[in-house]
Amino acid sequence: MNSRLSTWIILGLTLTFLIGPFLIIIAAALSAGNNLAFPPQGLSLKWFIKVFEVESFRASFGVSMFLAIFGTLAALVLGVPAAYAMTRYRVPGAETVKLIVSSPIIVPGIIVGLALLQYFVIPIGAGIGPALFLAHTALILPYAVRVVSASMENLRVDMEEAALLLGCTRFGAFRRVVLPNIRGGLLAAFILGFVTSFNQVPVSLFLSGPGLRTLPIDMIAYMEINYDPSVAALSALLAFMSVGIVFAAERFIGLSRYV
Amino acid sequence: MFENRAIGLALVLPAAIFAAALFLLPVGILLSEAFRTDTGWSVSAYGEFFASSRNQTVFFRTLKLASLVAGVSAVVGYAAAFAIVNLPASSRGRMFGLVTLPLMISPVARTYAWLVILGRTGFVNKFLVDLGITDTPLRILFTETAVFIGLLQLFLPLMIISLVSAMENMPRDAVPAARILGANWLQVFWRVILPLTREGLVIGGTLVFTGSMTAYITPAILGGSKVLMLETLLYQRVTVANDFVSASVIAMILITMSFSANLLLKRLATARKSR
Repeated sequence: MNSRLSTWIILGLTLTFLIGPFLIIIAAALSAGNNLAFPPQGLSLKWFIKVFEVESFRASFGVSMFLAIFGTLAALVLGVPAAYAMTRYRVPGAETVKLIVSSPIIVPGIIVGLALLQYFVIPIGAGIGPALFLAHTALILPYAVRVVSASMENLRVDMEEAALLLGCTRFGAFRRVVLPNIRGGLLAAFILGFVTSFNQVPVSLFLSGPGLRTLPIDMIAYMEINYDPSVAALSALLAFMSVGIVFAAERFIGLSRYV
Repeated sequence: MFENRAIGLALVLPAAIFAAALFLLPVGILLSEAFRTDTGWSVSAYGEFFASSRNQTVFFRTLKLASLVAGVSAVVGYAAAFAIVNLPASSRGRMFGLVTLPLMISPVARTYAWLVILGRTGFVNKFLVDLGITDTPLRILFTETAVFIGLLQLFLPLMIISLVSAMENMPRDAVPAARILGANWLQVFWRVILPLTREGLVIGGTLVFTGSMTAYITPAILGGSKVLMLETLLYQRVTVANDFVSASVIAMILITMSFSANLLLKRLATARKSR
C-alpha cells in the first residue's frame, strides 16, 4: 500500500475520533431548536446567549475562576520556596518531602475531597468554601513545584553566587537574580495550575453544596435535569477558552518547554 | 549548592506541612476506616466488600475496562505515532498539537459530546435507523461500550504522546534498514519498533490504565448507575448509604494502583537517567 496514503488515513481517523466530537458539540450548540441534537435544527446563537443568562452558571463560573487564580497563586507561594530549596540546598529527607508534596497527584481527587469533608470540614466545623480552596491549592502544588524546579535547575547557581559575592543578601539575590530568570517557568506553572484547577471535577464533588459549586459540577447538575443545547454552548466556549490560553502561552513563552 | 541545611528545611516545610496536614492525614484516616471495628483492628471489611457480588462486578469491570482502554489505545497509538513521526517536519509539530489539543479541554465537555453522538436520538442512532440497519434506536448510552468509547477518547492522546517521544528517540535508519534486509511490516514491528519503544509503551500504558481506573466523569455521565466503576461506586456508597467502610476499601484499591504505577514510572525515569 502507498505509505503516504495510509499515513493520512490513520491520522484522519484518529483526529476524527479525537476532535470530531467537539465539532459536533459546536454544531449542536448552534441549533435553533430546543433539544440537543445533531445535525442541529436550524442555526442560531441563542444558546450561546442563554449561557450568560443562567444565574447558576454565572455564580459557578465565578467560583471556578476564583479557585483557579487564587488557588494557583497560593500553590506558587508554597511551591516556589520549596522548589528553590530542593534545587539549591541539601535538604534533609529531600526524597520524603518530594513524595509528600507530590502525593496529591497520586491520590485520586474524589478520595481527597471525601477525606477532607469527613475528617477536616466536619470535625473542625470549617466551611466548605475554605476546604474547597485548600483542596484546589493542594492539587496544584505538585505541578507548581515540578515546573518551577525544572526551570530553577536550568538556572546556573554561579549567577546567584556572583550576586552574593557582590554584596547581595540571600533574599536579594533570589529576588533580583533568580525570580527574573524563572519568569517563564512561573508563568507556565500558573497556566498549568489554572487549567488543572478549572477543569477539575472529582476533588470538588464532595466539597460542593447548594450555592457553592464549581462550573464543571454545575454543568453536570444542569445536564441531569435539562436536555437543551446550553451545556453544549458552554462546553464550546470553555474549550475555546482553554485552547486559547494554551496557544497564547505556547506562542509567547513556549509552554511546552516547561511542562 | 548551598550548605545551610536549616534554611533549606525552613523553605521546604510550609509546602510539606500543608500537603501532609491536608492530604496525608485525612486520607490516612479514611484508609484506616476499613480496619477499625468496635473491638479493635481487623481486615474483615475487605472480605465483606469482596463477598458482595455487586462489588465484585464493579471491581472486575473497572479492571476490564481499564485494560481494554490501555490495550486498544496502544494499538491505535502505535499506528498514529508512527504516522506522526514519519510526517515531514513542518506538519509534524502541527499534527502533534492537534492530537494533544483535547487534553486541554474540560473532561466534562469532552464527555458531553458523546451524549450527543451516542444518545437514543443521537447522531449514530439516526444514521443506523436511516440506513435501515436497525428499526428501533439502539441503547448505546449507559452501557460499557459507551464508557469504553469515552475513556478511549479521553486517554488516547496520552498514549500517542508517550509513543511519539519514544519513536523520536529511535535510531533514524532502524526501520528502513530492517525493510531493506527483507523484513515485512509485522516483523519490523515485533523485532525493531516494539523493543525500541518498550519504555514509551509502558509509560503510556500506565498513564492510560491508572487514568481509566480512577476516572469519575466518564463513567458517571456515560455509564450512570447501570455501569458503575470503582469511583462512581464510591460516590454512590457515600451519598446513598453513608457507607464509609466501602469507601475506605475502594480508596485503598485505587491508591495502591496509582501508587504502584507511580513507582514504576519513577523507576523507569531513574533507569533512563543513569544510562
